[in-house]
Amino acid sequence: MKILVCLKQVIDRQTVIKIDESGRWVRAEGPARYWLNHYDEFAVEEAVRIKEAVPGARVEALTVGPERAAVVLERAVGMGADQGIHLTAEDEGYVSPLATASLIAAYVRNHPYDLILTGVMSEDQGHGQVGPLLAEMLALAWTTAVILTEVRPESSTVYVEREIEGGDREALELAWPALLAVQSGLNKPRYPSLSNLLRAKKREFETVSAGSLGPPAGREEILGLGYPQKSRNGLILEGTPRNKAVRLIEILRGKSLW
Amino acid sequence: MVNDDKKKVVVVAESGRGRVLPVTYELIGAAEEIGCLGSWPVQAVVLGDQAEKMAQEISRAAGWPVIAGVNRHLDAYNGELYKEILSRLLPELKPAFVCLAHTSRGWDYGPGLAVRLGAACITGVEKINRTDQGLSMTRSMFGGKITADVVSKAGTTVLTIQPGAFKARVSDHARRPQVEVRRFDVEPRSSKYLGMKKAKESDALLNQAEVVVAAGRGVGKPENLALIRRLAALFPKAAVAGSRPVCDAGWLEYKRQVGQTGATVSPRLYLACGISGASQHTMGMRDSGFIVAVSTDPNAAIFNLADVGIVEDLTTFIPILIAELEKA
Repeated sequence: MKILVCLKQVIDRQTVIKIDESGRWVRAEGPARYWLNHYDEFAVEEAVRIKEAVPGARVEALTVGPERAAVVLERAVGMGADQGIHLTAEDEGYVSPLATASLIAAYVRNHPYDLILTGVMSEDQGHGQVGPLLAEMLALAWTTAVILTEVRPESSTVYVEREIEGGDREALELAWPALLAVQSGLNKPRYPSLSNLLRAKKREFETVSAGSLGPPAGREEILGLGYPQKSRNGLILEGTPRNKAVRLIEILRGKSLW
Repeated sequence: MVNDDKKKVVVVAESGRGRVLPVTYELIGAAEEIGCLGSWPVQAVVLGDQAEKMAQEISRAAGWPVIAGVNRHLDAYNGELYKEILSRLLPELKPAFVCLAHTSRGWDYGPGLAVRLGAACITGVEKINRTDQGLSMTRSMFGGKITADVVSKAGTTVLTIQPGAFKARVSDHARRPQVEVRRFDVEPRSSKYLGMKKAKESDALLNQAEVVVAAGRGVGKPENLALIRRLAALFPKAAVAGSRPVCDAGWLEYKRQVGQTGATVSPRLYLACGISGASQHTMGMRDSGFIVAVSTDPNAAIFNLADVGIVEDLTTFIPILIAELEKA
């Protein structure tokens, strides 16, 4: 059984971001730090758990991005993936999910997998599109917001539960090849092991230039970025923590909330 | 974008167990707005094993023509069938925009449907604006810290509309429903629906609480939840809630989760502690009477919808607040 897990490197949550001079993308205030998209950690963990449960299974991790993005492949190998595939793209800035999915699809057409896992969305652009786009491009069975998986190699199927509104779950059986976009919380991602990390450092990842896989294919573009409008007063209290607490209590009392 | 007057705006209704779900009327509100801006007529499609009855209900409420797409397997949602049926049905309607809900269904089949239609796909749309370059769609990025105005370069665009972002719209005067029934004999090929598992009842206390004290990732470690609990205990009819990451970490049960996949609450007072304010959370609490946010990050999106914001570490601030409340 061959499993692919698709990863994205994103700017981390602590980095302060501002809109850049072009008005169409963001820049970090201070040094930018990047990490593995939080949702994708769950996808790696799930892939590795499936590998541990299915004898002979192999997990490959793939990312699309600039050179710095190779770090997320190291992390995936550190967590137990067997190999990393880096589709190198120079683009910094907005990347259409359609372009990303087209690149991955072009690679996977020549390297078929039984199961493809992605996170349900990215922390930065947050479209939640790459998984379902990829499934359509590759004509795979698919589902999203997966909160439980049970692989059944004897029938080449996977039982999944997906989370819907209000926390209810839909149960499905999908025939391989299938794509699962996983929701956060379906497992507890492990820390990479030191020995695996050292192995990852020494390993040559497979590198494919995104340019060789075809032209970018976005059908939408960013006209401009903005900061969210305040929908309420947003009065920021000043002073010492104690001043703020006293002032807050006064306000709450004024509203008969205390 | 060419303003082709033969084009339409098409809503795909959300339904469940043979009933039209309320978010459908928000889609209708959004589609009317788009229709107005582009002078396009609007219409709706509803799929189901008993779609005709729902189509009549929608047509009566919206005053639009509605197509009922009937398929015997659609007593429950099936992404494969939605994609298949809609990709057969929609091209003849020549949609400029197809409006789906940004829900566990819309985001499941919307992007793939767009590929089949040769369309663009823009997800989580919160606002629609007219610009020199046609309509732009505002959506949120970077956990709610940034908004992006996105324009489509394609003739057809599939939108998933953020629930809660547009006002539900029902026509003032009931009209004679215009319903066309279409049958689609397609079978799911690679997926089998095996039924629904109900969530454990979300905490009744959460829905009935007048004060909700909610913990986010910023609580840092499970021990700090004791502070949240102590704070909540000072208010009558108060409950403790959390954002998804806190529940994912196992610090609170999922039945305490507020947001897209959890409870929607509107207490008189909502105290958000260490919550960043991503839309997945805020859609579950933004209608609260009065919102107070405590976060170390002055740029946290939660401050945009707070009535009062406090930029402090909650482990410093909450003990002081508790002490002052006890004195008061």
